[in-house]
Amino acid sequence: MNPRIRRLGIAFVVLYVLLFVQLNRVQFFGAERLQEDVNNTRGLIREFGRPRGSIVTADGVVLARSVPYDGSVDFVRQYPEGDLYAHIVGYQSLNVAATGLERVYNDELAGTPVGQQLVSFGDLFADRDTTAMLRLSIRHDVQTAARNALGDRRGSVVALDPRTGELIAMWTYPSFDPNRLADPDGSAANAAYSELRSDPDDPLLAKAYREIFFPGSTFKLVTAAAGIESGLIDATAPVFAAGEAYDPIPSGLPIRNFGGSTCGGDLVEILRVSCNTAFAEMGAEWVGPAGMVDAAESFGFNTAPGIDLPSPATSRFPVEFGNRLADVDFYRGIDEARDLARPNGSVSIHEDSARLAQTAIGQNDVAATPLQMALVAAAIANGGLVMTPHVVAELVAADGSLYETIESEISRIAMRTSTANTLAEAMRVVASEGTARNLLVDGLDIGGKTGTAQLGTDPPNSHAWIVGFAGRAGEDPSLAFAVIVEAQEGASEQTGGRVAAPIARSVIEAFFGVS
Amino acid sequence: MTAAGSSAQEVKTDLRNEVHPRRVEAGLLLMVGATVAAAYGMASFGASETIPADVGPFLFWMFGLGLVVHLAVRRWAPAADPVFVPVALLLNGLGYVVITRLDGGLAALQSTWTAVGVGGLVATLVVLPRVRVLESYRYLLGLAGLGLLVLPLVPGFGREINGARIWASVGPVNFQPGEFAKLALAAFFAAYLVDSRELLRTRLELRDLAPIGVAWAGSLGVMILERDLGSSLLFFTLFVVVLWVASERWIVLGVGGGLFVAGAVVSWQLFDHVQARVDSWIDPFADPKGDGFQIVEASFALADGGLTGTGLGRGEPGRIPFVETDFIFAAIGEELGLAGSSAVLMAFLILVGSGLRIAIRTSRIFDKLFALGLTTLIGVQAFVIIGGVLRVVPLTGITLPFVSYGGSSLVANYVLLALLVKLSHEQRSAEAM
Repeated sequence: MNPRIRRLGIAFVVLYVLLFVQLNRVQFFGAERLQEDVNNTRGLIREFGRPRGSIVTADGVVLARSVPYDGSVDFVRQYPEGDLYAHIVGYQSLNVAATGLERVYNDELAGTPVGQQLVSFGDLFADRDTTAMLRLSIRHDVQTAARNALGDRRGSVVALDPRTGELIAMWTYPSFDPNRLADPDGSAANAAYSELRSDPDDPLLAKAYREIFFPGSTFKLVTAAAGIESGLIDATAPVFAAGEAYDPIPSGLPIRNFGGSTCGGDLVEILRVSCNTAFAEMGAEWVGPAGMVDAAESFGFNTAPGIDLPSPATSRFPVEFGNRLADVDFYRGIDEARDLARPNGSVSIHEDSARLAQTAIGQNDVAATPLQMALVAAAIANGGLVMTPHVVAELVAADGSLYETIESEISRIAMRTSTANTLAEAMRVVASEGTARNLLVDGLDIGGKTGTAQLGTDPPNSHAWIVGFAGRAGEDPSLAFAVIVEAQEGASEQTGGRVAAPIARSVIEAFFGVS
Repeated sequence: MTAAGSSAQEVKTDLRNEVHPRRVEAGLLLMVGATVAAAYGMASFGASETIPADVGPFLFWMFGLGLVVHLAVRRWAPAADPVFVPVALLLNGLGYVVITRLDGGLAALQSTWTAVGVGGLVATLVVLPRVRVLESYRYLLGLAGLGLLVLPLVPGFGREINGARIWASVGPVNFQPGEFAKLALAAFFAAYLVDSRELLRTRLELRDLAPIGVAWAGSLGVMILERDLGSSLLFFTLFVVVLWVASERWIVLGVGGGLFVAGAVVSWQLFDHVQARVDSWIDPFADPKGDGFQIVEASFALADGGLTGTGLGRGEPGRIPFVETDFIFAAIGEELGLAGSSAVLMAFLILVGSGLRIAIRTSRIFDKLFALGLTTLIGVQAFVIIGGVLRVVPLTGITLPFVSYGGSSLVANYVLLALLVKLSHEQRSAEAM
C-alpha cells in the first residue's frame, strides 16, 4: 500500500503546486491587468476614501472640493459652480470615468506624486496632507460674463492671455451639472449620464476645445499671414482688383462675395471688408498650396494643441491638392501706377487649386476649434509666438506653499514679428472701421476679425465668429479671444459682427473692468 | 520484516539523541504565538492606528489555549510528530486575526468555538486510549456518519441557510452535522476496508465495486438534496482514494473518475446552480456583477495584494461576499500578499505530508487507512476551496480548515487533528519500542 500512498503524496504536491502557479498568475503576473479591469472599482474606492485637493479660480472661487460623506464612500466631490466650469474641471465619479482636470491632475489632487509626498526630510516620518490644490488662471468674473453674454445660444467663448497662454475664460453652451455625475448613488449617476449622452446637443462635449467648426472668414487671418510671409504681399501692396467673383484656375465654380458685392484693394482694405474674391486669389495664385499648408500648420493646424485638458480636437487644414499642373508667374492686380514691383517669382497651380481658393476663405475642408482660432488671434497679438495654452497656474500645498508653478512655454512660432505687427494693425482697422466695430470699447486697444461660416442656404444659417485681441492703450495686448455662436440665422458677413462681437465685448469689459 | 526491524532500531537511537518532540513543539508554539500576536496588533493598527484595547485578554486566551493543547499532547500523546499542533494553531490564529479584522462580532464567536475545538481535541486524546478501538465500532460509526449526513433533511432538525440545507438545530445550537459525518465515515471506510481488502486485491468483480456505487449515490444524494457540492465532492474523493490504496487496483481510480464525470455531467444538466458555478469558473468576467461577482472580486483582492500585500487591516476584503468563510483565503492574499497566501498553502502541504507519513510508517492497516483518510479530508478540502477561489476548479462553498469562520468546521477539524496526533503518537512509540 505504501507505494500508493507515496503516489498520493506526489499527487497532493502536484495539486498544491498548481495552486501556487495560479496564485502567482493572479497576484503577480496578472495583477496589473486585473487592477486595470473595467469592473475593478477598488482604486476608485480607495480614492474616495480620502480627501482630495480642491480646484479654485484665479480670483479664489472654489470650483471643486471634497466633502465628507456618510455612505458607501468617505468623501464625495462637490462642484459649487455647477455647469459653469464642467468642461474645464470635469468630474470625478464612482460610476463614470473622470474627465477634465479631475482626470489630468488626478494624482496631484490625490497627493500621490513623490514630489508632493517628500518635500522635506521630515516627511519620511510625519503624516502630512500631501494633496495639491489647483489654482487656475481662469477668472470667475470673465467666465461668468462669457456665460451671461452667450445666454442660451449654442456656442463657445475662449479667452486667454496671448503673452503666457493662460486661459482666462472658456465656456461652451450647453453645459451640464457635474454634481449629477458625482452623485455617490450609482443609479442616479448612471441615469444622469445616459440622459446627457443621448442629448442631441451633446452637453458633455467641451466644444470650445474638443469640436471643430468651419472657421469662415476668421481664417483669412491665416491666409493673410501666409501672403505676407511669402514676401509678395504687404499692408498696402498689391492692390487686388475689385471684382464680384473669383474664377478659380484651372477650373471650378466661381467664388463670390457676400451678398454679391464687389470688393478689392490692399491687404488692410480686403481684411476690413472681408473680401472673399481677393483672399481666394491670394491663397490660390499668390501663396500656393505649400505656403498655405505651411502657414496653417505654423499656427497649429493638423497638430493637437498641448493644452492641459484631456482629448483636445485637432484643427484641420487639407494638405493634398493634387498634381502640380503649371507654375504661374504673372501677377494680377499689381498697382503698376504706384511702382510696387515685387520680386519675380511664380506660384504652382495644382489640380485642386480651386479647393485651395475655398480653403483660403475658411471653407471646404478647413475646420478649427474655437481654442485654435483664439490662438491665431493670440499669435498675432503676441508678435508671432503661440504660447502653450493652459488652465492651471499653480499647484498649492495644504499649508499654502507652492508645489509647482506652471511655466509659460512657447508652443510654436507662427510667423515673423513684423508679419504679426502688420496683421495686428490691420485687425485694429477692422475693429475701428470694418466688420468688427461692435467690439470697440472706449479707451482700449482692440483688433478683431469677424467670420460667418455658411452652413446652408435654405433657410440661410451660419456659424457667427469673432476673433481678436484687446489691451490697454500703449501696452501689449493682454487678452486674445474667439467667440462662435453656432448655426445662427442669416448668412451675411454682418452676422459675425452682429451676433458674436457683442459677446466678445462683454468679455473684454469684464476682463478690463470697464463698461 | 527484518528490514523494518533494523529501521526501528535506528529510530530508537535517533529518538534518544534527538531533541524531545514536545520540546520542539513548545518552541514552534512560541513562534506561532509571537507571529499571531504581532499579526493581531498590526491588523488593529493598520485599520485604526491604535493598539487593540483587548490585546491583554487576547494574549491570555491565545497562549492559554496553546498551553492547554501542549500539555494535553505532552500527557496523552507524548511521542507525536511536533508539527501538527503548531501548524494548525498558526492557521487558526491567522484566520482569527483576519476574521477579527473583518467583523468584530464574529471574532467573539470564533474565539468561543476555538476554545470548544481545543476542548474537543483534549477530550479526544483523553477518551480514546487507542485510536484502533474505533475499528470495532465500524458499523456504529458508519450508521452515525449516515445519520449525521441526512440529519439536515429531517424535518424539525434541518435548516436551510444560504440555499444549502446543511444545517441542523438541536436546542439553541445550529451546527453542520456533515463536518462530523466526514470523521465518522473516514473511520468506517478504514475499518470496512481492513476486512474486505484481501478480497478486493485478489479478485475484482462487479459486486465488489458496489461500495463505490453506494458512496457515489450517497454523495450525489447529498449534493442533490442538500445542494452541498463541496461536501459531496469531499466524501466521494475520500472514498475513492482510500479504496484505491486499500485495493491497490488502478481500476478503482478509473471507475471512480468515470462515475465522477458522469455525476458531474448529470448534475450540470439538472441544476441551474451547478451550471452557474461552472459558467463563472470558465469566465467569471462574463457576468462580473452577477454570478461571477464573488470570483471577480476575489481576483481583484488578490491582485491588490501583490507580492507583499496591502498590510493587515489596510485592504478592502470586505467587498467579497462570504469572505469570512469560503473566501477567507482571498482576504489573506490581499492583506498579506503572495507571501502570506503561499505560507497558507505551505502550511496545508506540511499537514498533508505529516499525515501521509503516519500512513506510510504505521504497520496497522486500520491506522494506515484512517490516517490516510483524515489526511485526504484536510488536503482535499483545502485544495477544493482554495482552487475555487483561484478559479483552478469550479467554486464549491466549503470552509478552509482551521482558517474560516465556523464553529462546526473548527471543532470537527480539531477532533481530526487530535486523531492524527494520536495516530502519530502510536506509530512513533511503536517504532521506538
